[in-house]
Amino acid sequence: MQGNTKKMGVMTDVHRRFLQLLMTHGVLEECDIKRLQKHCYKVHDCNATIEKLEDFINNINSVLESLYIEIKKGVTEDDGRPIYALVNLATTSISKMASDFAENELDLFRKALELIIDSDTGFASSTNILNLVDQLKGKKMRKKEAEHVLQKFVQNKWLIEKEGEFTLHGRAILEMDQYIRETYPDAVKVCNICRGLLIQGQSCETCGIRMHLPCVAKYFQASSEPHCPHCNDYWPHEVPEVFNPEKERETGLSRSNKRSSRSRQH
Amino acid sequence: MPRGQKSKLRAREKRRQARAETQGLEVAKSTGAAAGKPSSSVFGDRPENLPAAGTPSTPEAPEGATSGATAAGSGTNPSKNINSPKAGSASSPKGTESSLSEILNNKVVLLVQFLLQKYQKKEPIRKADMLKFVIKQYKNHFNEILKRASDHMELAFGVDLKEVDPTRHCYALVNKLDLTYDSALNEDEHMPKTGILMIVLGVIFMRGNCAPEEAIWEVLNMMGVYADRKHFIYGDPKKVLTEDLVQLKYLEYRQVANSEPPRYEFLWGPRAHAEASKMKVLKFLAKVHDTVPTAFPSWYEEALRDEEERARARAAARAHTAALASVRSRAIASTSSQAN
Repeated sequence: MQGNTKKMGVMTDVHRRFLQLLMTHGVLEECDIKRLQKHCYKVHDCNATIEKLEDFINNINSVLESLYIEIKKGVTEDDGRPIYALVNLATTSISKMASDFAENELDLFRKALELIIDSDTGFASSTNILNLVDQLKGKKMRKKEAEHVLQKFVQNKWLIEKEGEFTLHGRAILEMDQYIRETYPDAVKVCNICRGLLIQGQSCETCGIRMHLPCVAKYFQASSEPHCPHCNDYWPHEVPEVFNPEKERETGLSRSNKRSSRSRQH
Repeated sequence: MPRGQKSKLRAREKRRQARAETQGLEVAKSTGAAAGKPSSSVFGDRPENLPAAGTPSTPEAPEGATSGATAAGSGTNPSKNINSPKAGSASSPKGTESSLSEILNNKVVLLVQFLLQKYQKKEPIRKADMLKFVIKQYKNHFNEILKRASDHMELAFGVDLKEVDPTRHCYALVNKLDLTYDSALNEDEHMPKTGILMIVLGVIFMRGNCAPEEAIWEVLNMMGVYADRKHFIYGDPKKVLTEDLVQLKYLEYRQVANSEPPRYEFLWGPRAHAEASKMKVLKFLAKVHDTVPTAFPSWYEEALRDEEERARARAAARAHTAALASVRSRAIASTSSQAN
């Protein structure tokens, strides 16, 4: 069907099963994705050597390219875990959510998104979001209902909740990057190091530049006295640790048990 | 003094409106509205945009997204709606022919997204919906667009588009991959849990139709599924078993009478009785153990008895429906003969 000059990868049932499973989950962490890949190989073709994950994914992406879909890799903003999601590049809206939620629920998300982006910390309080319930389009929603809808967003990995406040899940950041940049061009924040969209992070108190927590971790990992990359002033915040998947496996900690000790630092 | 909240919001709204006007937009309804909620289609009023500059081109892609988008304001050129607003250049070296093929390419892309959404939601796919939300004025090219989209689905996702009702033009997406092994996807909307469900139903069945919670975990632990550890397919297994599957009525979870400290047991829920059967579960278990149901004689007997009962119940139900139908048709016949 192609007949194009660019070499396209070969899709086998291993890749297709992987794609279907990833699609079901929406977003997966790197360790889970590796296990998923192994599982798909096992089901179809026990003896083949498991292709390196990056090549495996690039292979699939080359086939999906003409459909404007791709498996995108990102990093969680709070602790630098690599995550993967199947992302639709052909639209700059949030239409992937549109099929799972009603009009008023989508509008609630939109309001929450706006508050999150406008906020300084990247978090919007539950109270502030719920106060906007009267302004929603579509069927009237009560605050109690809205609380449940917010929990639905958390369950479906569009929002993260921490101590009564909400921020965007890594999945939402991956999927809606373009949309956010185009819809909120003056409110959107960008990381000084990776230039990626920034919702949560640390900022320099002197010049105001911002950095993702994992970017801070990597940038300052070797320095005993961190200085702002832009104005060279002393960097006042605690430098987090670089995410280490090996260490994670050893301690066998489940994510839900680990309490994030990092406070938001703005 | 930083800009107040209200003024920021007003400026944002104005910007959105302005963008909508200059592009002569057709609000994209395809993927979102396909779910049957037209007004909640997309967030804001942006069209389906296919990126221009950043993406390497293949013949399928709108390879000169730049060449397709001509002068501003021409609402009649549909490709404008799906090309990125950043596409600047004005001249199209290939003329109208390339525009049409670009448009058709875009329609194929949009249709694939539409089909994917329907597939994930297990919703029926009607030709009428496809025409209304995706194909629109290119009805004449429907068959071509559909064929290309279904080829893509088959190649990339291993999913077949089949026409299940030729009279009503209803289609369905059928998975070509055998899902019994990963139990992560299925016809059932809560599939990620089906494999674990079958195993749990099996344990309950083998324990005389009521199993203590400890017995369930003993078996699951052997598969690498633990109550206190996140699982890459099942997520939080304890929650899946004691909450999700109970809510869905597949399982019943109750405290063992007079147990102190409280212990719990599992039974089949009403939906498990309706949708699964002892024979189905036994077959699944046999497969897992690489053997046949008859290798478990006492359970096989019980499963057979269960099958007989179900067959009897089905026959009775059919007879009842048939009786009703004949009464109805006699009533209709008599009224129509009276009318004559």
